[in-house]
Amino acid sequence: MAVLKAVRTWLVVAAALHWGGPTPAGQTAPSLEYRVKAVFLFNFAQFVDWPLAAFPDSQTPVVIGVLGDDPFGPLLDETVRGETLAGRPFEVRRYRRADEIKACHILFISQSESDRLEEILAGLKSRPTLTVGDGEGFSLRGGMVRFVTEKNRVRLRINLEAVQAANLTISSKLLRSAEIVTSRKQ
Amino acid sequence: MIPLRDWPIQRKLTAIFLLISGLVLLLTSAAFVTYQVITLRRMTLKDLSTLGRVIATNSTAALAFANEGDAREILAALRAQPHVVAAGLYDATGRLFARYPPDLAADSLPATPPVDGYRFERGHLVGVEPVAQTANARLDSLYLESDVKAVRDAARLTGIIGTVVVAIALLAAYVLGRALQGRIADPILALTETAKAVSTRQDYSVRAPPSGRDELGALTDTFNQMLARIEEQDRALRESKTELEQRVADRTQELAERNEALRRNAAELLAANTELDAFAYSVSHDLRAPLRSIDGFSQVLLEDYGPKLDEAGRDSLQRVRANSQRMATLIDDLLKLARVTRSEMRTEAVDLSAIARDIVGDLQRAAPERPVEFAIAPGLSARGDSRLLRVVLENLLRNSWKYTGNQARPRIEFGSTGGNGERVFMVRDNGAGFDMKYADKLFGVFQRLHTASEFEGTGVGLATVRRIITRHGGRIWAEGAVDQGATFYFTIVTARAGPGGPS
Repeated sequence: MAVLKAVRTWLVVAAALHWGGPTPAGQTAPSLEYRVKAVFLFNFAQFVDWPLAAFPDSQTPVVIGVLGDDPFGPLLDETVRGETLAGRPFEVRRYRRADEIKACHILFISQSESDRLEEILAGLKSRPTLTVGDGEGFSLRGGMVRFVTEKNRVRLRINLEAVQAANLTISSKLLRSAEIVTSRKQ
Repeated sequence: MIPLRDWPIQRKLTAIFLLISGLVLLLTSAAFVTYQVITLRRMTLKDLSTLGRVIATNSTAALAFANEGDAREILAALRAQPHVVAAGLYDATGRLFARYPPDLAADSLPATPPVDGYRFERGHLVGVEPVAQTANARLDSLYLESDVKAVRDAARLTGIIGTVVVAIALLAAYVLGRALQGRIADPILALTETAKAVSTRQDYSVRAPPSGRDELGALTDTFNQMLARIEEQDRALRESKTELEQRVADRTQELAERNEALRRNAAELLAANTELDAFAYSVSHDLRAPLRSIDGFSQVLLEDYGPKLDEAGRDSLQRVRANSQRMATLIDDLLKLARVTRSEMRTEAVDLSAIARDIVGDLQRAAPERPVEFAIAPGLSARGDSRLLRVVLENLLRNSWKYTGNQARPRIEFGSTGGNGERVFMVRDNGAGFDMKYADKLFGVFQRLHTASEFEGTGVGLATVRRIITRHGGRIWAEGAVDQGATFYFTIVTARAGPGGPS
């Protein structure tokens, strides 16, 4: 089932990877881009190791959270539906405010929260949450992983310091295909 | 093409050596090459699957995050493995995501990833490895294609080495076989040569050269012993042959001498016999004239002077006459006997039964008062001189007639018994008979078993009969007992040699 799901997911991704090109930029373009990003969010789970404390028991779900305006619509739910990671189910949670966040493993911080980003990140400090965003300067401002769109491709930019500070380990394979940056010193 | 069984033994041995060593070498080489190839293929397969797994593991992130450059870079590491001729990463939709080498034509790779696993296909080793970061999250497939040049090269090299080894080993086996076969073949060849010499030249003095102590050596020794014995026996045989020839020659000489002596004796005897016969004839003939005078004058004396003589004188004269007559009969018989010996013989078919009946008729006419019972078998015949055979039957039947004179119921029989394929005639009576101890005297001249007063006779008849039978090549013998009658048997074997054989 998981494989079938993955296949289905990848059908989406395959389409998404070419959302540009001959297709004129339109209403559907952001949607295709976010399909790819949703899959990437899901895929992070496979390449990141959380500290033991992040999963109190074997049934604790992998929580993917969206803070602020949700750009994915149903895409994220569709992507994780039925998937498991080492027997854990996935769960998508949406937060309006940062203080709603309790246990969250992967947190997508919407661009709508850009103004409060430092505050949010500070609130999450020392918690094992992989912070992901796609706003300008997200990783420079202390976010862990930023989606960068270049030539119709979604690339990754990772702030390794921030990751390590949160006690998270990112697979070297993931690091290979990403650009590594550090926080802009203030 | 000579059939295998007719090959010389040296060639057979070489062929066996080569066949066995060739077979062993071939099987060994084949096993070696097969093992080598299988091992190499397995190793190549394992190498490629290891490589595939490493690359698949490394490329998970590149795929998960759709990083084509990264994927190409990972695949580029395959440059270190020159035998990998093509590689491709397929995404989960089966679309080719990245390829190696980068300039590879798209149609060199399968359009969609084949089934997982590693296998040899179209002379290439093909592997498909699933790419998954975690157990149940498959991302895509890695396709690897490796040429099997290494395997092929190794197989070829092994094959070449194997062939060279087989060739060298065969050559060595051939050389060694040639060198060693002599140990088996040479004694056999020597034996064969010796046997040939023996059988063609009959030369038993040759010997096979001695060989080792093995079975061939034993064979050679036995063969030589056999030859020695044959030689010895041959010599003994030659000696005994020479001796035998000498003995035969001696014996032949001796026989020839004896034959000569016998021949001379026979001639002398014949001459003496002829002389004796002639003498007897002339004597008998000459005796008749004076005897007739004695008888004649006695008769004259008795007729003319009988009345003047007294009774005693007349009686004496009567006796003189009787004895002179008896002597005349004797002389007649003797002459008859001599004539039998001297007369010519004419051989023809003779009806003996008819002659017997004739004689019996004469006898009965002469003394019709005698009640003699005759039994004459009909149809008895023989080849011979009818005149002489009549003399035989007349003598025998008259004898029987005479010696049954005192018999109350006399019976005379003429017949034959066929014993041993030989026709035996017989004349049997129930008369006075004779004592068997005198049986050999019956046929002698003047031999008589009875006195003249008992039965009259001259003692010449049976002698005559025997002469006639002898002249006919037959035999005569008699059986009898006193007062029990007598049986005379005779055979007639008439030679085709016609009349007048000496006898």
